[in-house]
Amino acid sequence: MVIPMYYMIVSALKDNATTFIYPPDFFPSLKILDFRNFQYIIENVLFLRYLLNTLFVAFMTVLLSGIISSLLAYSFARLNIPGKKIIFGIIISIMLVPGLALIVPQFELASWFKLTNKLWGVILFYTAWVIPFSTFLLKGYIEDNISSELDESIFMDGGSVFTVYRHIIIPMASPSIAAVSILNFLFPFEELGWSQAILKSDEIRTLPVAISMFFKAHSQTDWGYVFAMTTMAMIPVIIFYLLLQKYFVTGLSSGSIKG
Amino acid sequence: MDQVIKLKKKRKLNRADWRTWLIFLPGILFVLLFTIYPILKMFVMSFFDWNIGFQATSPFMGLQNYVDVLTDPIAIRAIINTFVYAIVTVPLQMIIGLAVALLINGIKRLNLFFRLGYYLPVITSWVVVALLFRYIFANSGLMNYFLVDVLGVVEEPVNWLGSRWSALASAMLLGVWKGIGWNMIIFLAALQAVPKNLYEAADIDGASRRQKFFYITLPSIKGTVTFALVMLSIGAFNTYTPIAILTGGNPMHQTEVVLTWMYFQTFEALNMGYSAALSMIVTGLIMLVTVFLFGVTRGKKVA
Repeated sequence: MVIPMYYMIVSALKDNATTFIYPPDFFPSLKILDFRNFQYIIENVLFLRYLLNTLFVAFMTVLLSGIISSLLAYSFARLNIPGKKIIFGIIISIMLVPGLALIVPQFELASWFKLTNKLWGVILFYTAWVIPFSTFLLKGYIEDNISSELDESIFMDGGSVFTVYRHIIIPMASPSIAAVSILNFLFPFEELGWSQAILKSDEIRTLPVAISMFFKAHSQTDWGYVFAMTTMAMIPVIIFYLLLQKYFVTGLSSGSIKG
Repeated sequence: MDQVIKLKKKRKLNRADWRTWLIFLPGILFVLLFTIYPILKMFVMSFFDWNIGFQATSPFMGLQNYVDVLTDPIAIRAIINTFVYAIVTVPLQMIIGLAVALLINGIKRLNLFFRLGYYLPVITSWVVVALLFRYIFANSGLMNYFLVDVLGVVEEPVNWLGSRWSALASAMLLGVWKGIGWNMIIFLAALQAVPKNLYEAADIDGASRRQKFFYITLPSIKGTVTFALVMLSIGAFNTYTPIAILTGGNPMHQTEVVLTWMYFQTFEALNMGYSAALSMIVTGLIMLVTVFLFGVTRGKKVA
């Protein structure tokens, strides 16, 4: 499983010219390994900028989709809304439409709102893409794990649906919200098609776009540089994983047991 | 009992005031604007020769776009490629993931290195792993070196990314490799939720390991199997990045999957109507596959 990953890091440490030598040098001597490729990336590529862009998109997507999908999940699980079963069904079936399939009408919408070539053009549409699944997971969690008697007792005390949302739903659904947030956080580190269509100027690119553009710009051969860049791009994700290990497993597996 | 329910219903009805709508409507409006409206727009576009730009006219085409897609050999090939990708990668990564999960189920605490090894492909961006596989499957890459020089099973280096099926095989290997970890995680969670006393009872009855697997484990994790099957199939139809980076659909559009072909038609060929019709067809296919999968897993009881 880890062999390809190991090979990537080793190749990132090799001189560019040697990455095409045959036979491939799988266990190179330490002498030929150095950090010059990384130095090149830091000096010649706006790496930090791309990383900050990606982090900004990731945090905003997590925040927006967290708020919207928890409100929707609470509505669908508890509130008395006419036709909510049908509306929920429609939202769930949106998952069947490939995100990229909507690229033309969504792109028109983005230009209408003057969101092309802006990070918000990515954030708002990523949020729209992840809402159905997030809502589905949160609704299931609320229904299975939070007793509606708690809501009732808040209402008895004269609280409103806002009180329930803030003091019951949000705190008690927090494990599920954390899980959903992890999935949504990783998404901007992953997605290429939409971001590549929206983010045209170099200084606002996110990492997937920047890496793919760098690869194309370097005539698809400077593997040392490319892998230095991809290795660096993996670091924040690995740190994120190490920090949130406990939630990671629930994050990735949430929704799966109930089916 | 009936009265209690009625009372509760009444209370809830009373609560459906402006506050309820304030909770519900912002999200619904967001979805309506950013998702539902584009879906409807796409549906409309698929009947027009859609052009964007100042003073552009978009003549009505009827079903012509659909005819164009369904008579286009590249579109058909892209749909076949997508189905092949789904049919191979989905069961394979589920079986391997489940096998690994069964193997390590008894182990209390896996060491960090092991866990990182399995999760790393899962959490690493598709862009990164696709580039990595492009390098490994290059003519003078690691894969050919292993096959030709180390194992000696192949005489000449294979031009993996240079023809349709070998390039798709590389993409499928990438898909399986990246997906195993996720399957392992969800099956491990499912296995740990199976009641232990079922196995104890089976032990008393002298059940074999195989019997235990087919009569206890598999029926107990059926929900998870269905979930994985549906999610992974939807994911397989959403494949874009691995193909875009590994081959870009080349050579000669031999390796296009539905979304890479749609992307090409949208941004290179500027056939908006065509790509809208293609999107509608793909969405229809995904719906059929999902209904089929739910039908199969529900109809044929594993137990």
